[in-house]
Amino acid sequence: MSLRETASADARAILNDAAGFRWPVSVTDPAGVVSPVAPAVGALYGFGNDISQLIDPETGQVVSGRLPTVALHLDDLATTYGAALPESINDRTIKPWLVSFDDITGNTLNFKVAQSNPDRGLGIITCELEFYDG
Amino acid sequence: MVSVLPNLIDKQDGFEIVRDQIGAILLAETNAQQVLAPLANPAQNPADYALKIYSEAFNPWESQRESAADLTPVINVWYDTGNFPRGRGNTVEKQIHEGIFNIDCYGFARSKTDGATGHVPGDVEAALEAQRALRLVRNILMAGHNTYLQLRGLVAGRWPQSITVFQQGIDVAKAPQVVAARLAFRVDFIELAPQLDYGTLDFIAIDVNRALDGSLYFEADYDYTTP
Repeated sequence: MSLRETASADARAILNDAAGFRWPVSVTDPAGVVSPVAPAVGALYGFGNDISQLIDPETGQVVSGRLPTVALHLDDLATTYGAALPESINDRTIKPWLVSFDDITGNTLNFKVAQSNPDRGLGIITCELEFYDG
Repeated sequence: MVSVLPNLIDKQDGFEIVRDQIGAILLAETNAQQVLAPLANPAQNPADYALKIYSEAFNPWESQRESAADLTPVINVWYDTGNFPRGRGNTVEKQIHEGIFNIDCYGFARSKTDGATGHVPGDVEAALEAQRALRLVRNILMAGHNTYLQLRGLVAGRWPQSITVFQQGIDVAKAPQVVAARLAFRVDFIELAPQLDYGTLDFIAIDVNRALDGSLYFEADYDYTTP
Protein backbone atom coordinates (compact mmCIF):
# COMPACT_ATOMS: atom_id res chain seq x y z
CA MET A 1 0.00 0.00 0.00
CA SER A 2 1.39 3.40 -0.98
CA LEU A 3 1.70 6.32 1.40
CA ARG A 4 -1.18 8.02 -0.36
CA GLU A 5 -3.40 4.96 0.00
CA THR A 6 -2.40 4.75 3.65
CA ALA A 7 -3.35 8.40 4.17
CA SER A 8 -6.74 7.82 2.57
CA ALA A 9 -7.36 4.75 4.68
CA ASP A 10 -6.36 6.65 7.79
CA ALA A 11 -8.77 9.47 6.87
CA ARG A 12 -11.57 6.95 6.45
CA ALA A 13 -10.76 5.35 9.77
CA ILE A 14 -10.76 8.73 11.54
CA LEU A 15 -14.11 9.70 10.02
CA ASN A 16 -15.58 6.37 11.14
CA ASP A 17 -13.85 6.05 14.50
CA ALA A 18 -16.52 5.05 17.04
CA ALA A 19 -14.27 6.23 19.86
CA GLY A 20 -13.49 9.48 18.09
CA PHE A 21 -15.54 12.33 16.64
CA ARG A 22 -17.58 10.39 14.13
CA TRP A 23 -21.23 11.34 13.90
CA PRO A 24 -24.11 9.64 12.08
CA VAL A 25 -25.04 11.51 8.89
CA SER A 26 -27.91 10.94 6.51
CA VAL A 27 -27.55 11.86 2.83
CA THR A 28 -30.30 11.98 0.19
CA ASP A 29 -29.45 12.36 -3.48
CA PRO A 30 -31.62 14.24 -6.03
CA ALA A 31 -33.32 10.99 -6.97
CA GLY A 32 -34.47 10.58 -3.37
CA VAL A 33 -32.13 7.73 -2.48
CA VAL A 34 -31.49 7.94 1.25
CA SER A 35 -28.30 6.54 2.76
CA PRO A 36 -28.83 3.56 5.04
CA VAL A 37 -29.39 4.11 8.71
CA ALA A 38 -27.05 2.50 11.23
CA PRO A 39 -26.54 -0.36 11.90
CA ALA A 40 -27.33 -1.20 8.28
CA VAL A 41 -24.44 -1.71 5.89
CA GLY A 42 -23.55 1.53 4.19
CA ALA A 43 -24.65 3.76 7.06
CA LEU A 44 -22.74 6.99 6.87
CA TYR A 45 -20.53 8.45 9.53
CA GLY A 46 -18.43 11.57 9.31
CA PHE A 47 -17.75 14.93 10.91
CA GLY A 48 -20.86 17.11 11.17
CA ASN A 49 -20.29 20.66 12.36
CA ASP A 50 -22.55 23.66 12.88
CA ILE A 51 -20.54 26.62 14.08
CA SER A 52 -21.59 30.24 14.44
CA GLN A 53 -18.49 32.35 15.11
CA LEU A 54 -16.67 33.00 11.90
CA ILE A 55 -13.86 35.03 10.47
CA ASP A 56 -14.67 36.90 7.28
CA PRO A 57 -12.00 35.61 4.89
CA GLU A 58 -11.88 38.90 3.01
CA THR A 59 -11.45 41.27 5.91
CA GLY A 60 -10.23 39.02 8.70
CA GLN A 61 -12.94 40.45 10.90
CA VAL A 62 -15.10 38.33 13.17
CA VAL A 63 -18.60 38.29 11.74
CA SER A 64 -21.83 36.72 12.79
CA GLY A 65 -22.66 33.73 10.66
CA ARG A 66 -23.66 30.11 10.81
CA LEU A 67 -21.67 27.62 8.80
CA PRO A 68 -22.77 23.99 8.98
CA THR A 69 -20.43 21.53 7.31
CA VAL A 70 -20.07 17.79 6.90
CA ALA A 71 -17.03 15.73 6.00
CA LEU A 72 -17.44 12.23 4.57
CA HIS A 73 -15.20 9.67 2.91
CA LEU A 74 -15.73 9.01 -0.78
CA ASP A 75 -15.54 5.23 -0.28
CA ASP A 76 -18.39 5.40 2.24
CA LEU A 77 -20.54 7.39 -0.17
CA ALA A 78 -19.72 5.02 -3.02
CA THR A 79 -21.44 2.16 -1.18
CA THR A 80 -24.80 3.82 -1.83
CA TYR A 81 -24.18 6.35 -4.59
CA GLY A 82 -21.38 4.88 -6.68
CA ALA A 83 -19.38 7.58 -8.42
CA ALA A 84 -21.91 10.32 -7.76
CA LEU A 85 -20.81 12.92 -5.24
CA PRO A 86 -22.87 15.48 -3.32
CA GLU A 87 -22.79 18.87 -5.01
CA SER A 88 -24.66 22.15 -5.06
CA ILE A 89 -27.77 21.99 -7.22
CA ASN A 90 -29.29 25.21 -8.53
CA ASP A 91 -31.59 23.62 -11.08
CA ARG A 92 -35.04 24.36 -9.74
CA THR A 93 -36.60 21.41 -11.54
CA ILE A 94 -34.81 18.78 -9.47
CA LYS A 95 -34.25 18.13 -5.80
CA PRO A 96 -30.90 19.03 -4.27
CA TRP A 97 -28.46 16.83 -2.38
CA LEU A 98 -29.67 16.81 1.21
CA VAL A 99 -27.75 16.16 4.41
CA SER A 100 -29.13 15.77 7.89
CA PHE A 101 -27.60 15.07 11.26
CA ASP A 102 -28.47 15.74 14.86
CA ASP A 103 -26.85 18.47 16.90
CA ILE A 104 -25.38 17.59 20.26
CA THR A 105 -28.74 18.15 21.99
CA GLY A 106 -30.57 15.73 19.68
CA ASN A 107 -32.25 18.25 17.37
CA THR A 108 -32.32 17.01 13.80
CA LEU A 109 -30.92 19.55 11.38
CA ASN A 110 -31.82 19.39 7.69
CA PHE A 111 -29.59 20.93 5.07
CA LYS A 112 -29.03 21.32 1.38
CA VAL A 113 -25.50 20.98 0.02
CA ALA A 114 -24.55 24.58 -0.83
CA GLN A 115 -20.94 23.98 -1.76
CA SER A 116 -18.92 20.79 -2.07
CA ASN A 117 -15.16 20.46 -1.87
CA PRO A 118 -14.07 16.93 -2.83
CA ASP A 119 -10.47 15.89 -2.40
CA ARG A 120 -10.06 12.97 -4.72
CA GLY A 121 -6.47 12.52 -3.63
CA LEU A 122 -7.23 11.72 0.00
CA GLY A 123 -10.81 10.64 -0.57
CA ILE A 124 -12.55 13.20 1.64
CA ILE A 125 -15.44 15.42 0.59
CA THR A 126 -16.31 18.46 2.70
CA CYS A 127 -19.66 20.08 2.08
CA GLU A 128 -20.83 23.47 3.22
CA LEU A 129 -24.50 23.37 4.01
CA GLU A 130 -27.50 25.67 4.07
CA PHE A 131 -30.88 25.23 5.65
CA TYR A 132 -33.46 23.19 3.79
CA ASP A 133 -37.17 23.03 4.50
CA GLY A 134 -38.59 19.93 2.92
CA MET B 1 -8.22 77.65 29.69
CA VAL B 2 -11.58 78.93 30.91
CA SER B 3 -14.87 77.79 29.41
CA VAL B 4 -16.65 80.35 27.25
CA LEU B 5 -19.82 78.40 26.51
CA PRO B 6 -22.41 79.35 29.09
CA ASN B 7 -25.13 76.94 28.02
CA LEU B 8 -25.47 73.16 28.03
CA ILE B 9 -25.16 71.55 24.60
CA ASP B 10 -28.30 69.48 24.79
CA LYS B 11 -29.44 69.51 21.20
CA GLN B 12 -29.04 66.84 18.53
CA ASP B 13 -26.82 67.55 15.58
CA GLY B 14 -28.32 67.51 12.12
CA PHE B 15 -26.79 64.16 11.21
CA GLU B 16 -28.45 62.52 14.23
CA ILE B 17 -31.80 64.03 13.38
CA VAL B 18 -31.53 62.97 9.74
CA ARG B 19 -30.42 59.43 10.61
CA ASP B 20 -33.34 58.99 13.00
CA GLN B 21 -35.71 60.54 10.49
CA ILE B 22 -34.67 58.10 7.77
CA GLY B 23 -35.43 55.23 10.13
CA ALA B 24 -38.72 56.76 11.21
CA ILE B 25 -39.84 57.29 7.61
CA LEU B 26 -38.96 53.72 6.64
CA LEU B 27 -40.78 52.33 9.67
CA ALA B 28 -43.90 54.39 9.09
CA GLU B 29 -44.05 53.53 5.41
CA THR B 30 -43.41 49.81 5.75
CA ASN B 31 -46.27 49.65 8.24
CA ALA B 32 -48.49 51.63 5.87
CA GLN B 33 -47.56 49.43 2.90
CA GLN B 34 -48.62 46.34 4.82
CA VAL B 35 -52.04 47.92 5.39
CA LEU B 36 -52.33 49.03 1.77
CA ALA B 37 -51.30 45.71 0.24
CA PRO B 38 -54.54 43.74 0.73
CA LEU B 39 -56.61 46.83 -0.05
CA ALA B 40 -54.90 47.24 -3.41
CA ASN B 41 -54.99 43.53 -4.21
CA PRO B 42 -56.66 40.91 -2.01
CA ALA B 43 -54.16 38.36 -3.26
CA GLN B 44 -51.23 40.47 -2.13
CA ASN B 45 -49.45 39.22 0.99
CA PRO B 46 -48.83 42.09 3.43
CA ALA B 47 -45.75 40.28 4.69
CA ASP B 48 -44.12 41.05 1.34
CA TYR B 49 -43.92 44.66 2.48
CA ALA B 50 -42.60 44.01 5.97
CA LEU B 51 -39.17 45.29 6.91
CA LYS B 52 -37.36 45.22 10.25
CA ILE B 53 -35.81 48.63 10.75
CA TYR B 54 -32.68 49.13 12.87
CA SER B 55 -30.33 52.02 13.36
CA GLU B 56 -26.58 51.92 14.06
CA ALA B 57 -26.82 48.22 14.89
CA PHE B 58 -23.68 46.11 14.77
CA ASN B 59 -25.37 42.75 14.37
CA PRO B 60 -28.96 43.40 13.34
CA TRP B 61 -29.75 40.08 11.73
CA GLU B 62 -28.68 37.43 14.20
CA SER B 63 -32.31 36.74 15.09
CA GLN B 64 -32.90 35.82 11.45
CA ARG B 65 -29.94 33.47 11.61
CA GLU B 66 -31.58 31.45 14.35
CA SER B 67 -35.17 31.67 13.12
CA ALA B 68 -36.77 29.16 10.82
CA ALA B 69 -40.04 31.05 10.52
CA ASP B 70 -39.30 34.79 10.44
CA LEU B 71 -37.12 35.74 7.50
CA THR B 72 -38.30 39.33 7.25
CA PRO B 73 -35.67 41.50 5.52
CA VAL B 74 -33.62 43.60 7.91
CA ILE B 75 -32.74 47.25 7.30
CA ASN B 76 -29.91 48.94 9.21
CA VAL B 77 -29.46 52.70 8.88
CA TRP B 78 -26.11 54.10 9.93
CA TYR B 79 -24.23 57.33 9.55
CA ASP B 80 -21.08 56.75 7.53
CA THR B 81 -19.29 59.97 6.57
CA GLY B 82 -19.81 63.70 6.23
CA ASN B 83 -18.17 66.51 4.29
CA PHE B 84 -18.34 70.23 5.02
CA PRO B 85 -17.49 72.18 1.83
CA ARG B 86 -15.96 75.55 2.66
CA GLY B 87 -18.12 77.34 0.13
CA ARG B 88 -21.38 76.12 1.66
CA GLY B 89 -21.92 77.91 4.93
CA ASN B 90 -20.16 80.47 7.07
CA THR B 91 -17.42 80.12 9.59
CA VAL B 92 -19.44 81.63 12.44
CA GLU B 93 -22.82 80.00 12.59
CA LYS B 94 -24.01 77.56 9.98
CA GLN B 95 -22.42 74.93 7.71
CA ILE B 96 -23.86 72.56 5.17
CA HIS B 97 -23.19 68.95 6.10
CA GLU B 98 -23.04 66.61 3.09
CA GLY B 99 -23.77 63.37 4.92
CA ILE B 100 -23.69 59.80 3.66
CA PHE B 101 -25.99 57.36 5.39
CA ASN B 102 -25.61 53.69 4.64
CA ILE B 103 -28.90 51.86 4.45
CA ASP B 104 -28.06 48.17 4.51
CA CYS B 105 -30.78 45.80 3.31
CA TYR B 106 -30.37 42.14 4.30
CA GLY B 107 -32.39 39.47 2.50
CA PHE B 108 -32.69 35.95 3.91
CA ALA B 109 -33.89 32.68 2.50
CA ARG B 110 -33.78 28.96 3.13
CA SER B 111 -33.78 26.43 0.33
CA LYS B 112 -37.02 24.49 0.26
CA THR B 113 -39.01 22.00 -1.70
CA ASP B 114 -41.34 23.35 -4.35
CA GLY B 115 -43.90 20.73 -3.38
CA ALA B 116 -43.30 18.83 -6.59
CA THR B 117 -40.16 17.39 -8.11
CA GLY B 118 -37.94 20.42 -7.74
CA HIS B 119 -36.79 22.93 -5.16
CA VAL B 120 -36.33 26.65 -4.57
CA PRO B 121 -32.64 27.56 -4.15
CA GLY B 122 -32.01 29.70 -1.12
CA ASP B 123 -29.12 31.71 -2.57
CA VAL B 124 -31.25 33.04 -5.41
CA GLU B 125 -34.18 33.79 -3.13
CA ALA B 126 -31.95 35.62 -0.66
CA ALA B 127 -30.66 37.86 -3.45
CA LEU B 128 -34.19 38.58 -4.64
CA GLU B 129 -35.27 39.36 -1.08
CA ALA B 130 -32.41 41.80 -0.58
CA GLN B 131 -33.24 43.53 -3.85
CA ARG B 132 -36.92 43.67 -2.98
CA ALA B 133 -36.10 45.33 0.35
CA LEU B 134 -33.79 47.74 -1.47
CA ARG B 135 -36.59 48.53 -3.91
CA LEU B 136 -38.94 49.44 -1.07
CA VAL B 137 -36.31 51.56 0.68
CA ARG B 138 -35.34 53.52 -2.43
CA ASN B 139 -38.92 54.16 -3.46
CA ILE B 140 -39.88 55.35 0.01
CA LEU B 141 -36.96 57.71 0.45
CA MET B 142 -36.99 59.07 -3.10
CA ALA B 143 -40.73 59.65 -3.16
CA GLY B 144 -41.59 63.26 -3.86
CA HIS B 145 -43.21 63.50 -0.45
CA ASN B 146 -39.79 62.94 1.09
CA THR B 147 -37.83 65.44 -1.01
CA TYR B 148 -36.64 67.06 2.20
CA LEU B 149 -37.24 63.98 4.36
CA GLN B 150 -40.14 65.91 5.89
CA LEU B 151 -37.52 68.18 7.50
CA ARG B 152 -37.79 71.25 5.35
CA GLY B 153 -35.68 73.98 6.87
CA LEU B 154 -33.05 71.50 8.04
CA VAL B 155 -32.58 69.31 4.97
CA ALA B 156 -31.51 70.94 1.72
CA GLY B 157 -31.80 67.80 -0.41
CA ARG B 158 -31.24 64.07 -0.68
CA TRP B 159 -29.84 61.80 -3.39
CA PRO B 160 -29.17 58.06 -3.83
CA GLN B 161 -25.41 58.09 -4.21
CA SER B 162 -24.77 54.43 -4.99
CA ILE B 163 -25.99 50.87 -4.57
CA THR B 164 -23.65 47.99 -3.78
CA VAL B 165 -24.67 44.37 -3.46
CA PHE B 166 -22.60 42.00 -1.31
CA GLN B 167 -22.83 38.59 -2.84
CA GLN B 168 -22.37 35.32 -1.08
CA GLY B 169 -19.02 33.79 -1.78
CA ILE B 170 -16.91 30.74 -1.20
CA ASP B 171 -16.42 29.47 2.32
CA VAL B 172 -18.78 31.89 3.99
CA ALA B 173 -21.78 31.25 6.18
CA LYS B 174 -24.84 30.02 4.31
CA ALA B 175 -27.30 29.08 7.02
CA PRO B 176 -29.48 30.88 6.25
CA GLN B 177 -28.51 32.28 2.88
CA VAL B 178 -27.98 36.02 3.31
CA VAL B 179 -27.42 38.66 0.69
CA ALA B 180 -26.90 42.31 1.58
CA ALA B 181 -27.48 45.38 -0.57
CA ARG B 182 -26.30 48.81 0.52
CA LEU B 183 -27.89 52.07 -0.54
CA ALA B 184 -25.43 54.89 0.13
CA PHE B 185 -27.81 57.77 0.68
CA ARG B 186 -26.55 61.34 0.56
CA VAL B 187 -28.38 64.02 2.48
CA ASP B 188 -27.37 67.70 2.62
CA PHE B 189 -28.48 69.46 5.77
CA ILE B 190 -27.61 72.28 8.12
CA GLU B 191 -25.40 72.01 11.15
CA LEU B 192 -25.53 74.71 13.81
CA ALA B 193 -23.42 75.33 16.88
CA PRO B 194 -23.66 77.50 20.03
CA GLN B 195 -23.50 81.20 19.22
CA LEU B 196 -22.40 84.30 21.09
CA ASP B 197 -25.15 86.27 22.74
CA TYR B 198 -24.22 89.88 22.01
CA GLY B 199 -26.98 91.43 24.07
CA THR B 200 -29.30 94.25 22.96
CA LEU B 201 -27.56 97.32 21.57
CA ASP B 202 -30.64 99.48 21.23
CA PHE B 203 -34.35 99.42 20.44
CA ILE B 204 -35.66 100.93 17.21
CA ALA B 205 -39.39 101.08 16.50
CA ILE B 206 -40.31 101.31 12.79
CA ASP B 207 -43.73 101.91 11.25
CA VAL B 208 -44.12 101.09 7.53
CA ASN B 209 -46.88 103.15 5.89
CA ARG B 210 -48.32 103.74 2.42
CA ALA B 211 -48.86 107.32 1.30
CA LEU B 212 -51.88 108.52 -0.65
CA ASP B 213 -49.84 108.38 -3.87
CA GLY B 214 -49.08 104.69 -3.23
CA SER B 215 -45.46 105.08 -2.24
CA LEU B 216 -44.11 103.42 0.88
CA TYR B 217 -42.46 105.31 3.69
CA PHE B 218 -41.42 104.43 7.18
CA GLU B 219 -41.16 106.27 10.39
CA ALA B 220 -38.46 105.29 12.88
CA ASP B 221 -38.63 106.06 16.55
CA TYR B 222 -35.42 105.72 18.55
CA ASP B 223 -33.33 107.51 21.10
CA TYR B 224 -30.68 109.70 19.61
CA THR B 225 -27.93 111.57 21.38
CA THR B 226 -26.55 114.61 19.65
CA PRO B 227 -22.77 114.20 19.39
